[in-house]
Amino acid sequence: MMGRGLYFVVALLLIVVVLGLGLQVGSFEANATTIWDAFFNYNPDNTTHFAILHLRLPRLILALVVGASLAFCGYLMQAMVNNGLADPYLLGTASGASLGAVIVFFGFVPISMAGLYLPSVFAFAGAFLVTLVVVILGYRKRQLIPSQMLLAGIALSSLCTAMVGMLTFLSDSEGKLKSVIFWSMGSFERATWQLVAYPAVTIVLALLFFLFYQKQLNVLLLGSERAQALGVKVARTRWVIMGVVSVVTGFAVATSGPVGFVGLIIPHVTRAVMGATGRGNLLFCAFVGGFFMLLCDLLSRVIYPPAGLPIGIITSFFGVPFFVYLLFKKNYNFRG
Amino acid sequence: MATHLYTLAQYTKLSLLKYTILCFAALALSVLNGCGGDSPKGTATEKIILEDDLGRKLELNGQPKRVFSLASSMTEMLYAILDTSTIIARTPNDDYPAAVYTKPVVNNYPVDYEQILLLKPDLIFTVEGITPLDVAERLKELGVPVYYQKYRTVEDVFTGMEDIGKIMGREQQATQLADSLRKEVASIARKYKNVAQPQQVLAITWKDPIYVYGQNTIFSDKLKILGAENAVKEVFEQPYPALTREYILKLNPDVLLGGSKEKLEKEFFNLYPELRKVKAYQNNRIYDPTDNLQSRPGPRVVESLRELEGFLYP
Repeated sequence: MMGRGLYFVVALLLIVVVLGLGLQVGSFEANATTIWDAFFNYNPDNTTHFAILHLRLPRLILALVVGASLAFCGYLMQAMVNNGLADPYLLGTASGASLGAVIVFFGFVPISMAGLYLPSVFAFAGAFLVTLVVVILGYRKRQLIPSQMLLAGIALSSLCTAMVGMLTFLSDSEGKLKSVIFWSMGSFERATWQLVAYPAVTIVLALLFFLFYQKQLNVLLLGSERAQALGVKVARTRWVIMGVVSVVTGFAVATSGPVGFVGLIIPHVTRAVMGATGRGNLLFCAFVGGFFMLLCDLLSRVIYPPAGLPIGIITSFFGVPFFVYLLFKKNYNFRG
Repeated sequence: MATHLYTLAQYTKLSLLKYTILCFAALALSVLNGCGGDSPKGTATEKIILEDDLGRKLELNGQPKRVFSLASSMTEMLYAILDTSTIIARTPNDDYPAAVYTKPVVNNYPVDYEQILLLKPDLIFTVEGITPLDVAERLKELGVPVYYQKYRTVEDVFTGMEDIGKIMGREQQATQLADSLRKEVASIARKYKNVAQPQQVLAITWKDPIYVYGQNTIFSDKLKILGAENAVKEVFEQPYPALTREYILKLNPDVLLGGSKEKLEKEFFNLYPELRKVKAYQNNRIYDPTDNLQSRPGPRVVESLRELEGFLYP
């Protein structure tokens, strides 16, 4: 138990360190003193202070929040379908969001309306609608059948990807293609305090909720029959997980685009470190996800300044070697 | 977009019709060619070796008589210099000069190889960055050489004109045009030779993510002629680099180009409210240049300079 507590402390410390480093990277020169001043002696006329508090910090918080959201949702999905291959995008969220955003970029609707930036709104709507269809297709005899749902998710994702592909192909401008690439790889450059608020509040509420729901989740890992026998309402638990995952992933994707790999790998890291049924697993998973995303964002901006590489490229580059390491680690079992 | 789709449908119908007509015409032509081909002409067999702006070597069978371009800017160049009967096609994006609409359309994205073969061009002109090199290679294999030009400065456009003139046997027209345009550029440049504080100009090409005209584009040279500077000083690998909000905040440009004030307010500053701090926004110096005029390096380059001049010195 002491060991696990220590892991939490280490994860938190790492987050703080990367946040501190991340605040120093950007176009304006900023060292530790400047950052301290920006926080505690804020000067509204100092552009560097402004950049630190209104551009860099929301960006970092968004990366943290999105990383945490995706890792958290990945953990829930893997527990729900009892399979280590699951990730939050299995419900079609990512491709639904891309399709939504791309529809706006290709001029079917105006870019902004009533002060709202519509690509994000449509991305959220796309994610939600596709998820809804996937769930309806995965529903039989008043129950969610995971395997059926997964297949529906794969089919609908392919359909959305095909539609994005068609729009891209018919497009007449290179800029639009760049938007599509950014939307399929993810980026935190849109971050503002208002934008960060949505996914941040959602993930905090979801984490609080699941602190009390964790027991059902762990029993679900035993398989649905045994869980049922132990008194868990399997059908209802699946609905709850579904609902939470679709909202949390929806916000993450709508603000930053579908960043890959985090939702798949971080749950495995969590279980490798904390054991398959640890009490603080979900919270730890969110922390590690947030840390990983912050680190990837920092690397992306250091490697390719100023805009940074699309974040999905970095998460895969650094995630895959670690994944391979886990594969070869003998005492880790990939089954959910 | 609805209207866009409509025109697309209309357009395919039309081109199908044209296509069939063309097929017959080409067939007839090829039969005629076949008959006439028995008597060899001295000039047609003379081999010409060319080197284009990318250093690629091309081999031509005599002076080209049937040409077209895969880039809209190049189409404008050809129209300004050539006998228009030697221009045999246009791409779907070409819209200037209006006479271009009389030519059959060749799809350039993706490249319609079959139609190109049908049209039997002797040479295709294009611009670096518009036509991928592998497309040019494929066309070469099919027996159609592709000649690339690239422009970093306004002067490059004029020498490009002269090169086209030489290749096509229209040297006089090309030199005349280039020289008169050079004179106009020189007179504009003279006006702004001694600007004490050059205005820093940022031109956005795309809003999400933000892409801008980089230092290594002809745009920087146009600004230099007008006594202003591209706000982006750093030279990136890509001609149109992606930038962050912070980077732009640091550049703090005097003038922002990329759309009308209302449009940018809605689609740019609404998305990046932090950028309202830049001087261009504070002083209301946001302008909407004509995209095709600015983005196409061609005979209208002086016209594009005049437009920019209007923005910089209102």
